[in-house]
Amino acid sequence: MSKIGVFICHCGENISATVDCKKVAQEAANIEGVEFATDYKYMCSDPGQTMIKEAIKEKGLTGVVIGACSPRMHEPTFRKACAEAGLNPYMCEMSNLREHCSWVHDKSDTTTEKAIDLVKMLVAKTKLDKPLNAIKVPITKKALVIGGGIAGIQASLDIANAGKQVILIEREPSIGGHMSQLSETFPTLDCSQCILTPRMVEVAQHPNITLYNYAELESLDGSIGNFKATIRLKAKSVDPKTCTGCGICWSKCPKKKIPSEFNAGLGMRTAIYTPFPQAVPNKPVIDKANCNYYLNGKCKVCEKVCPTGAIAFDKPDELITEDIGAIVLATGFDVLKPDFFPEYGYGKYPDVITGLQFERLASASGPTLGEIRRPSDGKIPQKVVFIACAGSRDPAKGIPYCSKICCMYTAKHAMLYQHKVHEGESYVFYMDIRAGGKNYEEFVRRAIEDDGANYIRGRVARVYEKDGKLIVRGVDTLMGAKPVEIEADMVVLASAGVSNCGAEELAQKMHVSYDPYKFFAEAHPKLKPVETNTAGIYLCGACQAPKDIPDTVSTASGAAAKVIGLFSNDELTREPIIAVVNRIPSHDVSTCVGCFMCETACPYQAIEHEEIKNRQGEVIKTVARVNPGLCQGCGTCVSFCRSKSIDIQGFSNEQMYAEVMAVLAD
Amino acid sequence: MSELINKVKELFDKEAIDLFIGYEEGSRRPRPFFAKNATDATKLVFDDRCQGNLAVYLTRKDLVRGKRVGISASYYALKSISQLFNENQLNKDLLTIIGIGSDGNLSVFEGQEQIKAYLKETPPPAKPEDDELVSKINAMSPAERWEFWTDELSKCFKCYACRAACPMCYCTKCIVEVNRPQWIQPWASTLGNMEWQINRVMHMAGRCSDCGSCGTACPLGIPIHLLTHKMKESVLANFGGDDERGNVLSTFKPEDQESFIL
Repeated sequence: MSKIGVFICHCGENISATVDCKKVAQEAANIEGVEFATDYKYMCSDPGQTMIKEAIKEKGLTGVVIGACSPRMHEPTFRKACAEAGLNPYMCEMSNLREHCSWVHDKSDTTTEKAIDLVKMLVAKTKLDKPLNAIKVPITKKALVIGGGIAGIQASLDIANAGKQVILIEREPSIGGHMSQLSETFPTLDCSQCILTPRMVEVAQHPNITLYNYAELESLDGSIGNFKATIRLKAKSVDPKTCTGCGICWSKCPKKKIPSEFNAGLGMRTAIYTPFPQAVPNKPVIDKANCNYYLNGKCKVCEKVCPTGAIAFDKPDELITEDIGAIVLATGFDVLKPDFFPEYGYGKYPDVITGLQFERLASASGPTLGEIRRPSDGKIPQKVVFIACAGSRDPAKGIPYCSKICCMYTAKHAMLYQHKVHEGESYVFYMDIRAGGKNYEEFVRRAIEDDGANYIRGRVARVYEKDGKLIVRGVDTLMGAKPVEIEADMVVLASAGVSNCGAEELAQKMHVSYDPYKFFAEAHPKLKPVETNTAGIYLCGACQAPKDIPDTVSTASGAAAKVIGLFSNDELTREPIIAVVNRIPSHDVSTCVGCFMCETACPYQAIEHEEIKNRQGEVIKTVARVNPGLCQGCGTCVSFCRSKSIDIQGFSNEQMYAEVMAVLAD
Repeated sequence: MSELINKVKELFDKEAIDLFIGYEEGSRRPRPFFAKNATDATKLVFDDRCQGNLAVYLTRKDLVRGKRVGISASYYALKSISQLFNENQLNKDLLTIIGIGSDGNLSVFEGQEQIKAYLKETPPPAKPEDDELVSKINAMSPAERWEFWTDELSKCFKCYACRAACPMCYCTKCIVEVNRPQWIQPWASTLGNMEWQINRVMHMAGRCSDCGSCGTACPLGIPIHLLTHKMKESVLANFGGDDERGNVLSTFKPEDQESFIL
């Protein structure tokens, strides 16, 4: 016979403002099987919990129903309190009187009646609850980090330094990401490569990190603690073990006019290449789309000149499968292609460039060796216009968000330009200056006050060419919306940061949610900023939203801390809310007929085949078995089982039926 | 006929089978027959008068467990056998399938792939009487249709002959026997009978061969096979052929229609 205790919480005024909590408790006391019912202002408080514990002991309760907030908030609190009083924690259920009732209805008798119904349903369910035990799943203590930019590098190093194994995959030939392309970094103007390359080398040398460059995630199975990742190692056409990185191959490659991705299209590279001199690993790959041999079957110059015979044409891609415990997504961002706004003439005029291209011009490793020269004629521009918010904060163009980094890097660009071209004039068109960050505002003031960048608050309507000059027509809103026209030698667009190409496909492969702009979504914007909604998959850096380097590195370390925390336990404790195939005692019979409809229905590959044998060891029957480590308790299998041989623990068919009947009864 | 008998005799003589499932002459029409030896085999018949779907016996464990079984299979029995393979209910190594076409020609099938290939190029036998009734019901308004089925199903007394005749109803414990919770009223009443038929038809979605045995088996002549027939049409229209996937309801294709999800 059930002895259920019902505890109705006022949640301050959150529930009691519209629900008569006292009446709910009184009515609950009359439900068959309810031994004790009461109400209290804050059930989650220490006195509230004590009240529950004492009632369990004094009244000998067999089950507890808390009428309070969403179980998502306080179920662990109340289950723990029940366990401390000696009750199996899964005999404690929560009836959501706040989100499902008081918050969504006005104060009235019917609102209170609904609250009573909700309590009745949970009492009916709790009567059928069975004691359950948490499931322990072993954890594979190896992390997969996807993306080798500064976010992935930082996360990998942090996890590896904690003594855990890391697999880092990067789809490009080298790690380094966007940070390796930058000239100097705000707000300190230290050289980007000087601070990044030591980290890249550390990754390559770290005993706990396995680096797969030129590799992508093919597919992902399993769940937290026990993922199975299939990784595609793209054919490099060069054997990295034999190659010494001497560089003869790329100096002799006849295909020399391929726009270099590393130089944002301002320089050229060969078909066999390493993206930049400090590349890690510093072994070339052959770009099949541009290689003469792969295009017309002739050439093989690199093979002839290679002193170690490392060139390996026509090797297929290789697929490897790795057991993984946790995953960090660090796939970064992309820059909006500025042909998005034809009014600025990008693509039409060679001297209209993007911020990333300006970074390459200002970088010592760039195509002009750090001198600011126009792409068109190599002359030093005397007047440069920087246009901030080129695409960002423009709902009409479909990007309503702020790209966050552009204000700062535009100030930096103006500053670098003034440092390198002393007599030059720089103009910055801006909407607002967003310089929130340590030493950021001071940095922008320096660009304006010390380096003389001319800041004009207003937007640019059009850029066009006239007599060899780029005419920039805009408006100065601080001067009464006065039209401004500047004859510039070069225009730099701070184009919006957008999600990286392939982000949507990757998110779908991994069952990670993403926002309308295809940036990966965090589990909670404030309290779970580096977790995704899929347990065991974390995110960091600009794959979540445009971020600067300090934020990227912080989130990377945050994600790494989550992984290290997960790996600090040998076993993962999981809720026992999973599907089970019935096995009638003495455990040798099941009503399962083994049609395995559940197997095709299961999104988590949690259904296994189990043979039931007789005493002679002959197989009598093959039935379904649920792998408790993989099952996520979604219940899809339950709905497909014709003979009702499979059920969810804690949410059995019988319990759901009883809940419905409890409402329909009167 | 003699061709079938000779073939089965040969199988028994070679000791290739222990049991052969076919038909023999009954008092009014041929009835299912289980030949255990070459002498039995001489009684076998197979013609248009043979009713029911013999595939139903392939999952009767008391009959077939551990035995090498042969079966004479009509078009629909072949369809059911193919689906039973999809659902892991048959052992290919213990089964000899003799298909009999509408022209009376015999063909021996080695496993599911051959059956699928045969079914793909063979049109289902015509059922003019059913077609007539289907078009009559299709022409009804929802109210008339409700009246038609209420009237028909009010006759049902839940003998479950429809279930017993169906090769796809092989569960050892049917949903009507599950009583925690009691999904379906155990006694006969019009709405309760509908509950049972709706459940039965849902359980057939994407699995039913459309053989019509359920309707033939009904002692009251309720045309319940039209319900599964209609379900088959709906599955075909919404999710395409069931043959390729086996489990239409529990598998997903990106092009599957979702228009019915509100």
